Amino acid sequence: MRTLFVAASIAMSLFLSSTSFGMGAEDVVKKSQAAFLYPGKDFKARVMMKLINKDGQERIRELTMLRKNFGEPGGDQKYFMYFHQPADVRDMTFLVWKYPRKDSDRWLFIPAIKLVKRIAANDKRSSFVGSDFSYEDVSGRAVEEDNHSLLREEKYEGKDVYVVKSVPKASESVDFGYKLSWIDKGSFIPWKEEYYDKRGSLSKVFTANEVKPVQGFITVMRRTMKNVQSGHRTEVVYSDVKYNQGLSDSLFTERSLKNLPREISR
Amino acid sequence: MKKFSLVEFSVDHPKLVVFLTIFVTVLFMTQFTKIKTDTNPKNMLPATSDVRVWNDEVDKTFGLYEDTIVLGVVNDKGILNPGTLEKIRRITDDILAIKGVAARDVSSFPTITNVTADAGTLRVAPLMTQTPKNEAEITALRKQLFESPLFINRIISPDGKTTAIYAPLEKGANGKEIADKIREIAKREKGDEKYYIAGDPVARDTFGAEMFKLMAIFAPIAGCVMLLVRYLMFRDLFLSVTLMMDAMISIVWSMGLLIGLGFPVHIMTSMAPVFLMAIATDSIHIFNEFYFRYREKKDKRTAIIETMQAVGRPVRYTALATAAGFAVLLFMNIIPVKVFGGVVVFGTLSLRLLSFSFIPAMFTFVKDEKISRIAEAEDVGLNGTSRFLRKLAGFGTHHPKSTVLVGFALLLIALIGISRITVNNNMVEWFKKGSEVRVADREINKSLGGTSLGYVVGISKEDDFVKNPETMRYLEGLQRHLEKLPVVGKTFSVADYVKRINRVLHDDDPRYDVIPDSKDAVGQYLFLFSMSAKPSDLDNVVDSSFKKANIWVQLKTWDAKAMETVIRAVDDYKKAHPIAMELKPAGIAYFNMIWNHEVLWDMVKGFILALIAVLLILALDFRSIKWAVIGYMPLLFTIVLIYGVIGFVGKDFDMPISVLSCLSLGMAVDFAIHFVSRFRQRMAATPDEDVSEALLWTAARPGKGIMRNAILFAASFAVMLFAPLTPYITVGAFIVTMMLLSSLMTIIYLPALITLTQRWLIKGGTK
Repeated sequence: MRTLFVAASIAMSLFLSSTSFGMGAEDVVKKSQAAFLYPGKDFKARVMMKLINKDGQERIRELTMLRKNFGEPGGDQKYFMYFHQPADVRDMTFLVWKYPRKDSDRWLFIPAIKLVKRIAANDKRSSFVGSDFSYEDVSGRAVEEDNHSLLREEKYEGKDVYVVKSVPKASESVDFGYKLSWIDKGSFIPWKEEYYDKRGSLSKVFTANEVKPVQGFITVMRRTMKNVQSGHRTEVVYSDVKYNQGLSDSLFTERSLKNLPREISR
Repeated sequence: MKKFSLVEFSVDHPKLVVFLTIFVTVLFMTQFTKIKTDTNPKNMLPATSDVRVWNDEVDKTFGLYEDTIVLGVVNDKGILNPGTLEKIRRITDDILAIKGVAARDVSSFPTITNVTADAGTLRVAPLMTQTPKNEAEITALRKQLFESPLFINRIISPDGKTTAIYAPLEKGANGKEIADKIREIAKREKGDEKYYIAGDPVARDTFGAEMFKLMAIFAPIAGCVMLLVRYLMFRDLFLSVTLMMDAMISIVWSMGLLIGLGFPVHIMTSMAPVFLMAIATDSIHIFNEFYFRYREKKDKRTAIIETMQAVGRPVRYTALATAAGFAVLLFMNIIPVKVFGGVVVFGTLSLRLLSFSFIPAMFTFVKDEKISRIAEAEDVGLNGTSRFLRKLAGFGTHHPKSTVLVGFALLLIALIGISRITVNNNMVEWFKKGSEVRVADREINKSLGGTSLGYVVGISKEDDFVKNPETMRYLEGLQRHLEKLPVVGKTFSVADYVKRINRVLHDDDPRYDVIPDSKDAVGQYLFLFSMSAKPSDLDNVVDSSFKKANIWVQLKTWDAKAMETVIRAVDDYKKAHPIAMELKPAGIAYFNMIWNHEVLWDMVKGFILALIAVLLILALDFRSIKWAVIGYMPLLFTIVLIYGVIGFVGKDFDMPISVLSCLSLGMAVDFAIHFVSRFRQRMAATPDEDVSEALLWTAARPGKGIMRNAILFAASFAVMLFAPLTPYITVGAFIVTMMLLSSLMTIIYLPALITLTQRWLIKGGTK
């Protein structure tokens, strides 16, 4: 069904498009987001993050991450995170309600003072738990915020990819000037993304290092974001990945921050 | 007597000698195309020196930058208005786009991380994401600025009239070039705001660049002044040009050698040409004597050879003394100083070789009639200068006791002055008071925390040690202690973030503006902060294992002394409050302190070595310790008097002065060598003449050469008094004074001393 749709849209855009490439750049990006950020109805994984500086010194972040989609790909999502490491933040929990068209709502439970606090941060610039990923890198950026264009089609490490250039429409709201993505023609997983700063020099590089199907969903098990200017990088490894567990809505509420539901500690 | 035959050979084959000289010069000149320059004064200390290795390590651990440029923006009506804020936003954006600026870590209103509480919500975000448009937004911004100790004195002055944009530089970026670009950006903005650009890289790289420029301007001007003064002295263009060529050739040889060997031309070596030009003036003694001899002999060849016989020895030994004075630099620790010493030694020796070959050869080309015309004027009895010098020397000879007493009185007063000298160095003060660099520094330091940055790094042996509430409180206590120092404008550390978060988490309740009681709370606060802030915010103040903490100390002055007081205060605090943490200074302010210290003491060491070397050479030349001591006196007096004045005037004993003292020795002693040598020659040649008559003759005839030499020397260095950088003015003033003083000392004081001690001297010495 999906391939049929893709084939149809390729045929359509071949016929119609002014870009002269296979399909419209915006469609490619939309599909890529659906495959990369929205697979399944819900999702659970153990996430190990290594924040590594230029000299190889590491900081560890280990957490359990749950995600549930509300609506179609590209729509609202809720995330629940439970930290295991570093030791002094054990039991810290973090809830994110993500809306594609405005800043997310976030709550954090701080066990030392037994307090749930709402946190406001700028998705576009803030780092995700001190890593080289911004919140937006983790949860995505609304497709219509950028002008997308298909630069070319090529082979990336033996795979057929689209190379898409995305230029933010409101440049003052973000830190980068434009982004290039190497998107798999079959799975629509982004193999590589290059972020360029406003001076036009390369600033950050995302790579998907290991990809495998889990319950039929193509999943990026290992990924890296490297800040090429500072030499700092973040390596992320997923394990215990499970889709469609039937996570309940009540899990993604302020209440469960303090009183961890069994579904998570399990 | 090998040298001797060189003179005869040169007189007999002048064309060959001149051709060979020019040929060798051209060979050296071919090396000039390979020139490499190094304008960074920091390179006085090699990259492998302890302080640079340590600073690099600290920079690495905390993700810091070696150099930061500070752009101060001042609006007397206050900067918190939509117009000024919009300009700040625009300028920040443009600065972010400059290559070489570490854009990710620029601190300014639109980029600096802000932690606030807003209706029960904790907000971690850049302070100003959009320019406020109305009064309400301005008020909100004002509140945030003034309630966070992280901002006050850093990006906002307490009176709200000044802000600063801090632009850290990537490694290897040129501070002056980036500063120039920032200047251009600021220039585009119109309105009431004033812009000031400061920071160590601005001062340092501007100084380095200016220094090169000045050398390229001043060396030729000094050369022209010398040419002119010489022409006025001898009225012979050909011979004046010869003297000039003598200097030029030695400069080409030594700089050619330097470049050929692959050394970069450092700011220190860029001064070598001017020094060589000055040293070359010594050959004036040859000219001086030549005209006297010609008058007596009327034969060019004999006059040349006899001249060289008479002045050969003092010329050789003054060269040796000068060379020795510079050669001690070869034993110093600082490489550019060594290289400089080597270049000048080589140049001085080349000059002497030329004095015995090229100069005699050139004499043969001058027409006889011309020489006799000039020589007519050179009569000891008739010539005004000579008569004046005779009178001067007569004062010393006839009133030896009072002369020596006055001398001693001056010496005592000078010693009091010396005791008042303070050792310090301040790079910003190398620029004149009204210069852009200095004005900018003054303006920014007046209202903000300070343009000079030092660090105090706490190093423990235990992971997460910094997260202990005790450690946090310790850092805080140390900060408050340091902030009591008048030179410290602002400090900040990880403790400031923890306190800020504690307060914000508790609904901005000021009672929570303290370090929390549990280690877990500290850890969680920092984690929370790192969840949203820029990675560098935390990296700059703690290492990844939380073993080390870094306190930023902003200083309001570039005085090397300032960092010393900080280090002392840290030590005092540590003594009073022991903790299992080592506290070590770092940062550019610390580097400047060490740099200043090393160069300065290296120079003082060199100075002492040079004093000894010069005394030895005098003893060797005169073959008598007694004469050496006597000949040493004018030099000693000159130096002591100059330092006495420096002490009284209150000028710091800084790096330029220390470099100079070392260099001046070998040059200031020249006159005494000429005087004593020629006096003793005269005594030997005319045994019947009494001592005072011999002294007066010496003052009138070789003394004229001394006076000419001093004036020539002083004239060429006087040019430097008009330089825009204070170290040049210092060098100029120092050398002019030294030349005039030491020549006067030689003409007046030396005869008085010799008259008083003649029994002791002559009995045990010459005969």
